[in-house]
Amino acid sequence: MKRLLLIGILSVFFFSYSFAQERTISGTVTSSDDKSGLPGVNVVAKGTNTGVITDMEGKYKLSVPANVSTLVFSFVGFLTQEVEIGNRTSIEVVLVADTKQLNEVIVVGYGTQKKGDLTGNIASVAGKEIQNIPVTSFEGALQGRAAGVFVEQGNGKLGQAMKMRIRGASSISASNQPLFVIDGIPVTSQSQSATGADTNPLADLNFNDVESFEVLKDASSAAIYGARAANGVVLITTKKGKAGKTKVSINSQAGVSNPTRQREFLSAQQYVDFYTEALRNSDYSQAEIDEFFGFYAVDTDFKTSGINTNWQDEIFKKNAGFTQLDLSMNGGTEKTKFYVSLGSLDQNGIMVGNRFQRQSLRLNLDHAISDKLKVGLNMNFVRSYNRRLAADNEFSSPMQIVALPPITPVRKKTGQLVDETDGLPYYNPLVELENAHFKTNSFRTFANSYLSYEIAKGLTLRGEFGFDLLNQNEDRFWGTVTQAGRGAGSTGVGQSRVVQVFNYTTKAYLNYNKVLADKHSIDFTGGMEFQRSQTDRTESRGQGITVDQLQKLASAPKITFGSSELTGFAFLSYFGRLNYKFANRYLLGVTVRSDGSTRFGEGNRFGTFPSASVGWIVSEEEFMKSLKPTLSFFKIKGSYGLTGNAEIGNFSQLPLYGGVGYAEIGGVRPTQLGNPNLRWERTAQIDVGVEFGLFDDRISGEITYFQKDTRDLLLNIPVAGTSGFATQFRNIGAMKNWGWEFSLNSNILTGQLKWNASLNLTLPKNQITDLGGLPIIDTGGSRYMNVAQVGQPIGAFFGVEYRGVDPKNGDALYDLNDGSGGTTTSFNTAFRNGKILGNPNPTFYGGLTNNLSYKGFDLSIFFQWVSGNQIHNAAGIFMSSSGYYEDNQTVDQLRRWQKEGDITDIPKATYFGGNGFASRTSRHLSDGSYLRLKTLTLGYNLPANIAKKVRMESVRLYVSGQNLLTFTKYTGWDPEVNTDFLATNIFQGVDFYAAPQAKTVTVGLNIGF
Amino acid sequence: MIKSLKYTILSVVVLCLVACEGQFEDIKPAASVEEKVALSSDKNIRSLLVGAYDAFTGGRLFGGYYQLHSELLAGDPVARDIRWRGTFADPGEVFSKSMAITNGDASAAWLNTYNAINVVNTILANLNTVEQANRARVEGEALFMRGVMYYQLVCFFAKQFNSATSQNDIGVPLVLLPASLANFVEEKPARASVAAVYQQILTDLNKAEAQLPESNGFYANKFVVAAFLARVHLQMSNFAQARDAANRVIQSGRYTMLVDYSFCFNNIKNTTEDIFAVQITVQDGTNNMATFFGGRNIGGRGDVQVQAPHLNLYEAGDARRAFFYTDPGTGRIHTGKWRDVVAANINIIRLPEMFLTRAEANFRLGTSVGATPVDDVNRIRTRVNLRPLAGSELTLDRILRERQLELAFEGVRIQDIKRTGGRVGSRLFSDDRLIFPIPDRELKSNPNLTQNSGY
Repeated sequence: MKRLLLIGILSVFFFSYSFAQERTISGTVTSSDDKSGLPGVNVVAKGTNTGVITDMEGKYKLSVPANVSTLVFSFVGFLTQEVEIGNRTSIEVVLVADTKQLNEVIVVGYGTQKKGDLTGNIASVAGKEIQNIPVTSFEGALQGRAAGVFVEQGNGKLGQAMKMRIRGASSISASNQPLFVIDGIPVTSQSQSATGADTNPLADLNFNDVESFEVLKDASSAAIYGARAANGVVLITTKKGKAGKTKVSINSQAGVSNPTRQREFLSAQQYVDFYTEALRNSDYSQAEIDEFFGFYAVDTDFKTSGINTNWQDEIFKKNAGFTQLDLSMNGGTEKTKFYVSLGSLDQNGIMVGNRFQRQSLRLNLDHAISDKLKVGLNMNFVRSYNRRLAADNEFSSPMQIVALPPITPVRKKTGQLVDETDGLPYYNPLVELENAHFKTNSFRTFANSYLSYEIAKGLTLRGEFGFDLLNQNEDRFWGTVTQAGRGAGSTGVGQSRVVQVFNYTTKAYLNYNKVLADKHSIDFTGGMEFQRSQTDRTESRGQGITVDQLQKLASAPKITFGSSELTGFAFLSYFGRLNYKFANRYLLGVTVRSDGSTRFGEGNRFGTFPSASVGWIVSEEEFMKSLKPTLSFFKIKGSYGLTGNAEIGNFSQLPLYGGVGYAEIGGVRPTQLGNPNLRWERTAQIDVGVEFGLFDDRISGEITYFQKDTRDLLLNIPVAGTSGFATQFRNIGAMKNWGWEFSLNSNILTGQLKWNASLNLTLPKNQITDLGGLPIIDTGGSRYMNVAQVGQPIGAFFGVEYRGVDPKNGDALYDLNDGSGGTTTSFNTAFRNGKILGNPNPTFYGGLTNNLSYKGFDLSIFFQWVSGNQIHNAAGIFMSSSGYYEDNQTVDQLRRWQKEGDITDIPKATYFGGNGFASRTSRHLSDGSYLRLKTLTLGYNLPANIAKKVRMESVRLYVSGQNLLTFTKYTGWDPEVNTDFLATNIFQGVDFYAAPQAKTVTVGLNIGF
Repeated sequence: MIKSLKYTILSVVVLCLVACEGQFEDIKPAASVEEKVALSSDKNIRSLLVGAYDAFTGGRLFGGYYQLHSELLAGDPVARDIRWRGTFADPGEVFSKSMAITNGDASAAWLNTYNAINVVNTILANLNTVEQANRARVEGEALFMRGVMYYQLVCFFAKQFNSATSQNDIGVPLVLLPASLANFVEEKPARASVAAVYQQILTDLNKAEAQLPESNGFYANKFVVAAFLARVHLQMSNFAQARDAANRVIQSGRYTMLVDYSFCFNNIKNTTEDIFAVQITVQDGTNNMATFFGGRNIGGRGDVQVQAPHLNLYEAGDARRAFFYTDPGTGRIHTGKWRDVVAANINIIRLPEMFLTRAEANFRLGTSVGATPVDDVNRIRTRVNLRPLAGSELTLDRILRERQLELAFEGVRIQDIKRTGGRVGSRLFSDDRLIFPIPDRELKSNPNLTQNSGY
């Protein structure tokens, strides 16, 4: 009804306008694909602001001033056509689909560029490709979508930090995450959480608002972000309004999630048999053995109760619900355009107690004050709520429940949950889940504004101001029966921690572009930028809460901890870029950026980061024209440049003392070694590649070789502990990343049955080449194996090779690695000749997408894979340890050595015996490769005439699955894993009770009108 | 014309908004101060002294791990007088005498102790900034802490003192100067001999005793130092000095034994028999003794379980035997000394130790300085409802047994076993595995260090 009204208003407007005009042109615009009418096509009288948009059937009617001789027809995804009017009053137009992706305009730093003219290396992913994927944050949806971009979600907890590596890790101690820029504003992307379960501030963005993601990979494209671009830059551009009829789009979807996999543990009977043997082997008497099981059976009799608890069933939710509703509208006039959206997401985690909700509101507005002066504002308000879980290493983490014996009942006869106070070996995480909470509320505002003024033709001045406000509260409570509550004298404990990050950016730059003598095309951008970020944290904690329903600090009579902090940083930058194109085929790009940062000593604040790139569009040469359209496009390009990294903590250069207290008397202590010489970490990157289009660009692709050499590493280097300190930040060491990237896109079928496929492959290598004279940095202690060692990839696993079991006595054997081929039972002896056992970094990863459509149906199949990496199960010393502790064991332990002559890889079971107990051995290392059916979507579009009957422009129903199938040799929960509390650049590929990924199935409905 | 004026104004405003230089200067740490400020005044150095106590009593030092390690090393995993039931693998390895060279506890003990030593060294290097009136006391307290920390280090990381061999036995690196935070130069010191380390300990403690006042709140005073001197001399078998130092503490009259043994522990304030205790409040301090030794029913981890072979050592009627409690949930027996996880001081050195030290030294020397050995021992016995011994019944073993039971689970057991040539199960006091390995991370960053034998 409203639509009719709107059309009515528009018609009145249209007719009233037409009195002044000379001619009226009408006609129909159809698609070359299926000859159907194309709605929404822009029809503009050339050289004027007069225009209309085609209706549902592709029809248009336009009054044209007498002096106009040409109409311009344009529509996204189709080639723009200009048609001479002549004497006609009716013009039928067939628009041809634009398969030449090289004509796409893509976003680059501080501007846009035609893809075909790029000399840098940018991976572009359209927002619509990942629209409606049921994950909380866009990085998860980008996984496997672009060459050179590696994404890993460390576990299946919602809203947690993710690892994103663009062309590998270039630093050891500074961050390896890329710089994230939303609509020109570098945003806060580091976790603001106090716990080891890092959160992801990027999950605040509703990625259904995103028009495109551009990943700047090479030096020349990223160097415009100079100092902070060594890890690549992810540019996120949100949707803009389009002139014409207001388009409304509604998307709603709902679904369920379950864990991708479960791990298999011993049953009650197997547990009793196994531990009876382990206890006997450790000289425990039958009475002691009965007592052992008696305690774990709590108030039942382990011999007769028949209890066989599968603890995983207690923490994994069955069919955890997911709902999402998005409403967006866009439209406007040539002068004022808008995009408005409302988004609501409610996702339940696969684990009991885990939930993520997000409400998002966005307004993107562009207004032309005149032809020359334009203003715009993008505003996004978000509230996200995360009901969180403890970090993986905490006893209260749900996954640690698997350690509990299967002979233990979940609840006592009184109905209360069993707990360690009943004699269990561990705290029962269910006690925490039922009697504690951990809620994080985040209020986020992304806003930016611009004013641009065309000073002269081709010369534009643009000023921008924007900020990213993050306001987060972590609210925690532990009831009187929880572990923390018990420790507080059996009273409840409350905690509140508030973080406010005010991060703003201002910039001003000039853009000049001109074509001289039809041959020389010049595009210059230059300006300055200032960013400042300030973080305020306030935290308090209290105890003494006696009524479990009173969960705020107001009810805590004893305030036991209070703190407030303030920290910040600033960057001041000057940048310039010149792109030059000669004769449409010779390309040159030069960029320079100079950055100053408060993170370095006064004399070393500024660093300059230049880059240069060249390209040659060979296919534009006369001598190549004969190869067209078979070889429709061919370009050779190369770039070289310097980028930097300053992502260390604030004030790492200063010699600092911090406040402490003893017996409630204030004091100070030295906290940090300073280094006045601290300066930028620098990465020199070379990039060489070809781009090609075959068969009139039906197949297009790109092959690239890259090499990144990082020097002056910002390395938190271990120092002799006798100095009173463990580490100091120094610019020491070097690291190298190199490899190949391939991407291929093809329109295999273009008729009624359409099929396009895209493939991307990356073969990355990483090697540490220097650690300032140190051979190795090893901070893993006894449990973790990841090290930084010269000549090895970052985080390589250093330990002892496990050689199986001595058939004579069941002892675990370690390789001596002294050339003798011999073995030892002593871990220390073997460790003296320890060696690299594996690599947590993949050596090959990629993604393959197939999109098919036939009539109203569309099908999308997306596979993603990672290979060549290993996983260290650091919880193996608990769950696969031949019964060292009381933990329930994985089923492989049933293969244990039992009698002389047994040939097996599982040592003799001994309770607290320590046989083969060491963690840093290949016993707990396995292949981490996997292939995953990441996304499968089947959609059905209602035929246009049926949609019309319900007054809709489009109606699409779909069903979609995420992580439906996983193929791997890994026997743990999920091969995409990195335990959260430990995760750093070095500590990767470690599984320590990390939650598996979610397998999600959703059904959805899109409506457009 | 008018139009372009408007645009010019707009452009200028935009540029003004953007150009905001000079905003670097006010970006400074707010929760920390630079070294030059921290060391700039008498008041600040005295704040640093509080910081030194904070470090000295930190969780990895006297906040509990020192004592825990001593007790775990002294525990017998075969006879199971105590058991380590915890899931922390590092203390588990200490108990099972199977420490890996990567053991996190050894590494933390080393790093945290040297970190605290650096704090006191910083104070000692900046005494000139301290006002004359405070200087001797500040220096004395710093020296006291340094001496005690080197004593702890040498006990864990090196062989037992033996006057015949200690000149050649390797001890720990002696670091007596602070690191400059602003202009750090990394030193890579070798290990000094055991004898040299003990020499430094005595130098520090003797000077501290001379300089400290008799009264100094819960901080170190003259007698606190004398009490530790007694401990160190006993460790070195310097019985006369040990006896005399203990006697100085006893005869000061500042300390008296409580009437009831069960009141000696889990107190928020020092009792009259506490010579030195770590102050724990709800806000400040870490009581790792309660964490590891306390039962789960009182909020501890219940990791150290006491079993019959230990409990059977107590004579019938001994009030100290009745001081153990059973966690009804886990059935584990725990010492009652560390059962307040919220806020109770950790007793580090109590007056009874002085009586037992004086008794042992007098007995060994055949002297009766201060009192006869049997009188001193009987003071301990009668308080816990045991009959007094006759002089003829007293043997060295009885004195040592009394010491073992009186000071049980207070963190001195392995030192006593080592100095008396005792055993832990089948292991002799000199067993390599009763000494910590030099941390692997330390060997890797300092090539001048050598590993202990057996690792």
